[in-house]
Amino acid sequence: MAKILVVDDSSTVRDEVSGFLSKNGLDVVTAVDGKDGLTKLQANPGIKLVVSDVNMPNMDGLTMVEKIRSELGNSSVNVIMLTTESSPNMKERGKAAGIKGWIVKPFKGEAVLETFKKLAS
Amino acid sequence: MTEQLTSKILVLENDLKQLAFIKQFADEHSLVPLKVRKNRLFTVLKSSLELGAIILSYSYGGSEGDTVELATRIHAFRPELPIILRVEDEFDLSSLPETLKRICCATFSVADSQGLQQAIQEYIFSLVYPNALVRGISEITETALASQFKNLTVSWETPFIVRDRLIFGEVYSLIPLESSWCRGYMTLQTEEMPVLHWLGESEKIHTEVNFRNVNSLLGEVTNLIWGAFKNRFIGDESVIPGVNVEVPLVVNHKHKYISFGTENPQLCFLYTLTNEERTWSMKIYQRFVFNLRWAPEKFREIEQEVDGLVDAGELELF
Repeated sequence: MAKILVVDDSSTVRDEVSGFLSKNGLDVVTAVDGKDGLTKLQANPGIKLVVSDVNMPNMDGLTMVEKIRSELGNSSVNVIMLTTESSPNMKERGKAAGIKGWIVKPFKGEAVLETFKKLAS
Repeated sequence: MTEQLTSKILVLENDLKQLAFIKQFADEHSLVPLKVRKNRLFTVLKSSLELGAIILSYSYGGSEGDTVELATRIHAFRPELPIILRVEDEFDLSSLPETLKRICCATFSVADSQGLQQAIQEYIFSLVYPNALVRGISEITETALASQFKNLTVSWETPFIVRDRLIFGEVYSLIPLESSWCRGYMTLQTEEMPVLHWLGESEKIHTEVNFRNVNSLLGEVTNLIWGAFKNRFIGDESVIPGVNVEVPLVVNHKHKYISFGTENPQLCFLYTLTNEERTWSMKIYQRFVFNLRWAPEKFREIEQEVDGLVDAGELELF
């Protein structure tokens, strides 16, 4: 089963996103911030897609992506940011770190499900 | 809804002729006059959280001594609310008791309402809020609320100015807003029970619902509004460098009271979320207090490039 890591400090968002993805046949792991995201990613080598918030305590989502590439040396996992931010500067920083896409919250599962499935397979 | 801001003022006046004048003045100056029975005054003052000011008639207490005593009690009870004293025409203001001079922020009479006009301008409508900002806040908040409370209808009243510092309900979120034109906070305030009830009924939570779910939901709504506010009104600009003045915020739980360390009035919105059958509703108060910087002349709405614009919730692939 395709495995997705959902990283968000809000339990409301984690529940909403992971609940929707699980209901649609995806295996979901959750993390509460960027630091936790790195740990979960290392512990779950089957993860093919990371869906992450940007603004989080301890470690923000963009720093986490940069560390996934540099410190974990993982250049293959797909990353999509799910955030309230839509700043062009932040998107540029995400692109430079090799993210695949950007979603401005709120999360609309039906609009992205098929793409998520493809990226997680 | 109109962007014309209003403010609610408590009118303590027995004279019907004077009341008619105040009502007309209120209509002409975007004020909503509220009357209260004498025996309920302090009950109303204790619970009211939407007030901008109080108009007190010099004769309201019956005698001068009683009015002075009443004004003193009101001021001690709610010192953040300006008291504007209504006196008779030709009243010799120099004969006003010292206590009233100290407690009341202004005086006026029907013959000379200049004092009332000035006080309203100085104490209530002292900050100018651009229409685009007020309208935009309502729009982004409605979208945020609708996205989280999916089967509820969101409606809102004309936004109003308050000087009240009382907190509504039990759940309160607070987030800073910082830009070159504003520095302050947005708060959301609501009651716990209606949100618990809604969460229990909805399919949002699959385990037993508790207050942490309420906290998280209000936090996420706050986050959505904050993000949309930044995207629409702030953009990529950074805050003025070197300006990092802060003031302590003080919360008194016992009295459900918060101070932002400023006398500035607050911009307030009240949203009502109603179920489809219209048998149940919940209220969410949203307040903005720009206590650290307010420069509306620098306010601008960020222009979005129409080409390549991606709607919220849709994936922008790189």
